[in-house]
Amino acid sequence: MSQVTVSVRTYAFTWATLLALTLLTSVMGLLDLGTFNMVAAVLIKASLIAAIFMHAFFGAKLVRIVVASGVMWFLILIGLTLADYLTRGLLPFPGK
Amino acid sequence: MADPLELAVREQFHDPAQQRETSTVAMWVFLITEVMLFGVLFTTFTVYRIGHPAAFDQGSAQMEFWMGAVNTAVLICSSFAMALAVNSAERGKRLRLAVYLLLTIGIGLVFLGIKFTEYYLHYQDHKVPGLNFQDSTPDARFIEMFFVFYFIMTGLHAIHMLVGIGLLSALLLRTYLGSFNGEYHTPVELTGLYWHFVDMVWVFLFAIFYIPGAHMR
Repeated sequence: MSQVTVSVRTYAFTWATLLALTLLTSVMGLLDLGTFNMVAAVLIKASLIAAIFMHAFFGAKLVRIVVASGVMWFLILIGLTLADYLTRGLLPFPGK
Repeated sequence: MADPLELAVREQFHDPAQQRETSTVAMWVFLITEVMLFGVLFTTFTVYRIGHPAAFDQGSAQMEFWMGAVNTAVLICSSFAMALAVNSAERGKRLRLAVYLLLTIGIGLVFLGIKFTEYYLHYQDHKVPGLNFQDSTPDARFIEMFFVFYFIMTGLHAIHMLVGIGLLSALLLRTYLGSFNGEYHTPVELTGLYWHFVDMVWVFLFAIFYIPGAHMR
């Protein structure tokens, strides 16, 4: 069969990295080290889980397309919604 | 119980590889619908947060920060155990598969134990909207809204954990009955995908609920 067996070593390394990043995000939160660093650390964690634990990185092309389309639809959902809420009040309207 | 190799290819598929890929893609499509389900809640939360940042920080400062942080680590460990279970299944090691499935279930139950302890502490603090929410600060209405999001989103996540533990228990039973071997173990892999996804959702929940107010505690 064409399946890829991810080695225990790769899983263990991913696990250790995820735990380290959890500690890092917790400390960053306690010290208030800025939103951007936090968002970056969380996105790295989520990507590691999807890529290694969920095999998205090793999987078939079709799986990767499905994952990418899911991310894209979510970005449309949040992007268009925030395009409204974040820009309210930027332009003066009569009577407001 | 049918012979595992007989179970391996259903008649609508050409070969085991095609059957496996079809199931995997279908599972991912299901997970994308889950992304949309949680995505709507995350988006709504973001909109409210933008409208009332100070109140939401105050709400976040009332979280049990260390319980949330430990729970994040607990769930990552449970995902690791699940990954090892999938690895054992691929290698056809039945006993190890059963042990890792049990471990995954056990660590998942630890997560739920900590989570429900947190809920109980919030109840004692009078922070459960609709039941006993009390807050005398000027922003009380929006702090209450923060807790509404908190209970709905972590509650939906906890329901997903319970479903996952049910699925894992079914896998454990089927492992015991000998349904899986090195050639056929797709259900183990797909349940693994679901379990890792639920882990990933928690990573985001921890980030939006616990961290923003952590420095104000």
